[in-house]
Amino acid sequence: MLIRPRLTDHFGIHKSQAELDFAIQFLNEDIPLYLDPFLLWKSPAQQDQALHTSITNSFNHLNYLVKKGEVDRAVSTLVTLSECAEVGLGMSKSRRGNRIGTEQALEVLRLFKDISEYSQFGFSHFEVIQLYVAGISKDRVSDIACNYLKSFLIDYTIEQCEQLGIPLQVVALPTIYNYRKNSFDESTKVRLPVNPVDGEPLIFTPKRWLRFTPWINFDDYFKTACPRDEIFNPDEPIDRVRVLKYNRDNYDAVERYVALKDKAAADCRNDPLFSQIPVISARRKLNDLLKLKSGKDDNADSQYEVLCTDLFATLFYPHLDFAQAQSRTESGRHVRDLIFYNNRSVDFLDEIFSDYGNRQLVFEMKNVAKIDRDHINQLTRYLQTGIGHFGVFLTRHELPKAMFSNTIDLWSSQRKCIIALTDSDIKLMVNVYESKQRTPIEVLKKKYIEFRRSCPS
Amino acid sequence: MNTDDVDRFEKLSGQLTGVYDEMSLLSKKSPTDAVNKFKLKFINQQIAECNTMLSAKYRPFDDFDQFSEDDVPQNSDVVFIVAQYLQCLEKLRADNIVQRNGTWHWRVKGKKGEPVDEKGFALIRTTRPKHLKE
Repeated sequence: MLIRPRLTDHFGIHKSQAELDFAIQFLNEDIPLYLDPFLLWKSPAQQDQALHTSITNSFNHLNYLVKKGEVDRAVSTLVTLSECAEVGLGMSKSRRGNRIGTEQALEVLRLFKDISEYSQFGFSHFEVIQLYVAGISKDRVSDIACNYLKSFLIDYTIEQCEQLGIPLQVVALPTIYNYRKNSFDESTKVRLPVNPVDGEPLIFTPKRWLRFTPWINFDDYFKTACPRDEIFNPDEPIDRVRVLKYNRDNYDAVERYVALKDKAAADCRNDPLFSQIPVISARRKLNDLLKLKSGKDDNADSQYEVLCTDLFATLFYPHLDFAQAQSRTESGRHVRDLIFYNNRSVDFLDEIFSDYGNRQLVFEMKNVAKIDRDHINQLTRYLQTGIGHFGVFLTRHELPKAMFSNTIDLWSSQRKCIIALTDSDIKLMVNVYESKQRTPIEVLKKKYIEFRRSCPS
Repeated sequence: MNTDDVDRFEKLSGQLTGVYDEMSLLSKKSPTDAVNKFKLKFINQQIAECNTMLSAKYRPFDDFDQFSEDDVPQNSDVVFIVAQYLQCLEKLRADNIVQRNGTWHWRVKGKKGEPVDEKGFALIRTTRPKHLKE
């Protein structure tokens, strides 16, 4: 049983996201990041720049088609390009999105007619279409770029899979954009990894091309460069469509914005899939946590859970990738857990995997004055569901003596290991996170070693 | 003890005092912060040498050999232990020094060719025992 399974966990690749060049895909949902063509443009690598040129040229080829009167072909190309499910990027909870409609495609293509600069010279950053056409946003830009790059991404995926030993399977891809012919190759057979859940092919994307929002995007334009005074009267409600129309009539406003973004390209960086909270924020959260009373008064339990979630996701990174905070109900009680992927990146985690079979680690949060027998039984039962035989309590104080010996007995009889991380351990973790003298994961290891020393040999 | 042991003792005691001073500073700043593995490795080397020199008679604790990396020792833990070792080193010294003509000397076995006193002990100048007031 895996919570929020990822491709690498399924195939037994024990590498953390930080160690891999591509974004690890979830099997059931999308990664909330998007491919930003601007990152290819600003990349120092000639390969990335050349790929950006190929995207731009391919997009501008639509202008050629329109001019030749092959509007239908241009429309169908754009519609096909508008969704790329194999890369698993975006916000979909089911890994499936919809393509744009013909009307919307026509609206995009009209830009080549309506704006003479594009008609004459074409786009240099095709993502500016977001600033002209309603309903075109970061997901479309990302999918269009991914489709143009699909052939390259397939090679990249095969290379990464061969390095890591991820099995490849021959699959037929409905469409692959052919840069030479400027059209699609249909039902091409390629070797790709497949999603074990639904058997659909998967294509990897390099982390260095991914951002939460594209560098050139509507919200940023509206905030930083849009001449609002010219579009709206004072106190008039803001209407996005009017901004888009203004942009279509005033190409130079968009051009100025793009020039500004080009100049600020040095600040454009890819977004990591997970970013740690800063030290000062970790310290603040620790102080808030230490001030909390145990129990449920004033919502102390839910505050404790929120603080622990924020802190631990950061503290254990990059040794443990955070999967999710999950809620479950156990014997009528509400239980909150933190789940981490076990990447076996340090010797201790490797031991947890080999001795206790944990492909994921569960941390049960208990804002109680003391852990009792019921709490231990609850966690023990949960460990029986296949998550592995190692579990951790996040709680306020050390286990009472009787409960500690209970955990020792559990280890002796069933080889189940339950340890408790208390306020003082969290304090030490935050200290080492701040001072960088040791890593917070070593504090967890310390607790485990202390526990094992107490176990009968 | 012989003159070589005195040499070793003085080197060791000087180094350990250095460790104590450095760790005290860190401990005053953040007593509960962990000591990194690099420092811990060298502190453990010093402590191992001290254990050999002090032997069972002078060792501060019977059940302490050295710090375990896995225990993530904190600055204040290291200061506490190193202070104990410094005290025991001083005790060893105090037991092996004598006063001659108003100055303090190690009184240890002399090696061949070294100047020795009437009872065959070499005298090496040192400071007064720390517990004695001026």
